[in-house]
Amino acid sequence: MIDVNQVVSSLERNYILKLLKEGKRIDGRDLFELREVKIKTNFSPKAEGSADVFLGDTRVMCGIKYDIGKPYSDNPDKGVCTVMSEYVPIASPMFESGPPREDSIQLARVVDRGIRHTNCLEYHELCVEPGKAVYILFVDCYMMDYFGNLTDAAAIAAIAALLSAKIPGAKWDSEKEEAVWDGTIKPLTIHEIPLSITFGRVGDVIFVDPYLPEELIMDGSIAFAVDEKKQITSIQKYGSATWTVEEIMEISQKAIEISDDLRAKLNLRQYTPKI
Amino acid sequence: MPVLVPEPHDPVCFRKDGKRLDGRDVDEPRPFSCEVGVIKNAQGSSVVRHGGNLICCAVYGPREVHPRHLAKPDRGILRVYYRMATFSVHDRKSPAPNRRDNEISKVIREAIEPVLFLEAYPDSQIEVFIQIMAADGGTRCASTTAASLALADAGIPMRSMIVGIAAGKAQDKVILDLGDKEDKVGQADVPAVVVMKDKTISLLQFDGEMSIEEMKLGFKYILKGAEVIYQKQLEALKGKYEAIQLQAQKESEEYQKMVPKLTQEKPLPPSDTVVSEKIGEIKVNNDEEVQKPTKELKKEHKKETKKGTKKPTKKDIKKETKKVTKKKTEEIAQKINGTIENDPKKENDKGAKSK
Repeated sequence: MIDVNQVVSSLERNYILKLLKEGKRIDGRDLFELREVKIKTNFSPKAEGSADVFLGDTRVMCGIKYDIGKPYSDNPDKGVCTVMSEYVPIASPMFESGPPREDSIQLARVVDRGIRHTNCLEYHELCVEPGKAVYILFVDCYMMDYFGNLTDAAAIAAIAALLSAKIPGAKWDSEKEEAVWDGTIKPLTIHEIPLSITFGRVGDVIFVDPYLPEELIMDGSIAFAVDEKKQITSIQKYGSATWTVEEIMEISQKAIEISDDLRAKLNLRQYTPKI
Repeated sequence: MPVLVPEPHDPVCFRKDGKRLDGRDVDEPRPFSCEVGVIKNAQGSSVVRHGGNLICCAVYGPREVHPRHLAKPDRGILRVYYRMATFSVHDRKSPAPNRRDNEISKVIREAIEPVLFLEAYPDSQIEVFIQIMAADGGTRCASTTAASLALADAGIPMRSMIVGIAAGKAQDKVILDLGDKEDKVGQADVPAVVVMKDKTISLLQFDGEMSIEEMKLGFKYILKGAEVIYQKQLEALKGKYEAIQLQAQKESEEYQKMVPKLTQEKPLPPSDTVVSEKIGEIKVNNDEEVQKPTKELKKEHKKETKKGTKKPTKKDIKKETKKVTKKKTEEIAQKINGTIENDPKKENDKGAKSK
């Protein structure tokens, strides 16, 4: 078990640094190798869709619920999808129960932007009656075990849960002025699958998918969301490190390559329910 | 606005053949499976699947109390957090804990407290985090079962394992282990937690209408169902250590294959052993006899300092004391030799020493 107080001893820190400078990792990976991803969908019968994702030992559980509500006034014919994340104290001795922390909100927003700015969900399909009733999708990610790089794990969990979701169809009842069930249950339309790739940095060394001890000592990190057209759709810089333009261009290229491999390996479309 | 598909609310809980909707008999618990050690960050953890319930539980502690003023100087405190995931129920639940969550946290805490030795952990806390990932009736019972497993996995001493299971009444029949629907449309619900060692009840709630006779039958069912779950708990806990044992065995076999066989251990030379033994004995003698001379030494030292016309500096005193102690130790050594000579039992030792 790693020390609980977010403090890494200078011995361990120096050892990790030494290894990274030699191009090695503390858990035996290459600098640009992801940990193994395991996905199990539909673990929760009460959720519309759910996914239990392991990224190495990091574990994120995600579930989808829906509601019918009023659309935003600037997008009256579009549904809403909100991502929320919970750093439950189960996951790590560093997490405490209580209102969401800054990190938790940031993570949820990064995953949210990855989905929103990729051509992922068909928002027009989520509209029941323009200006009156739209679907509101809730994507709730629960961090269940924290061993570094929650962003990537949560992004995979969110998209896997959305892919596995089955939502009841709705029609507008103009007499009652409310949405009613039309008797069907169908999967969501997912156009593109965004994936998130996070790079960490210590000094001059850049590596992908930081492991917990690396995450505790690293200066900063950058998360890229990449879509199926090999485009970068969202970037978030974490931490207080600075990056040169050349480095950013180089790792964006790397992010596209790695996410392409990962997408082929995971074959996330297999989780779409057959109806 | 409500969700589109409402939950079914027909009051039927039995099939035509007298069995329950999921095919169980009245005194049959739902399928139960559990696992321990699933969350690697935690001291102890468990996952329980009890019917449609999916519950993750982690135990942290004993550790420092935050905030400090909650700490008790004579005993540890137990804190239980029962939280439901937003997607664990039919209508999305708000992520913030509500009154129900807090009440259930409290009753679970009071169910666990009697089996822990909290007096052994003064000034510290044991925290039990329960996360309901899917709810299907009887979550407080399944949570207690999960908490008991996680505490045992964390290696926290307990008087006994505890098992939670509910009895109830639906369509005028007493039933064991209510599902979500039976819980909602049934006439009564008695969640209970059984301390397995002495079969006492450490959590009891009751809502509905039941006669005393029906209650009796309900408790009979509860004790019977608890035994079934208890055996599964024990299997899961033993299974973990059997897996570790197997792993260790494998590793040791691999290690022995890799490492060349060690050469036979040579016995230590006999003279060495004798000398070491003797040194030990002499030391023991020294300790006994040195005490008296040191007192004398101090007295002499004082006399010397008084006699001296000039006040001696600290360095001088040190030098003198060193000289004196040298002399004294020599004397002591002589004395010891003398005693050894006088002692017929230790003659052999002395002979060995002279060699």
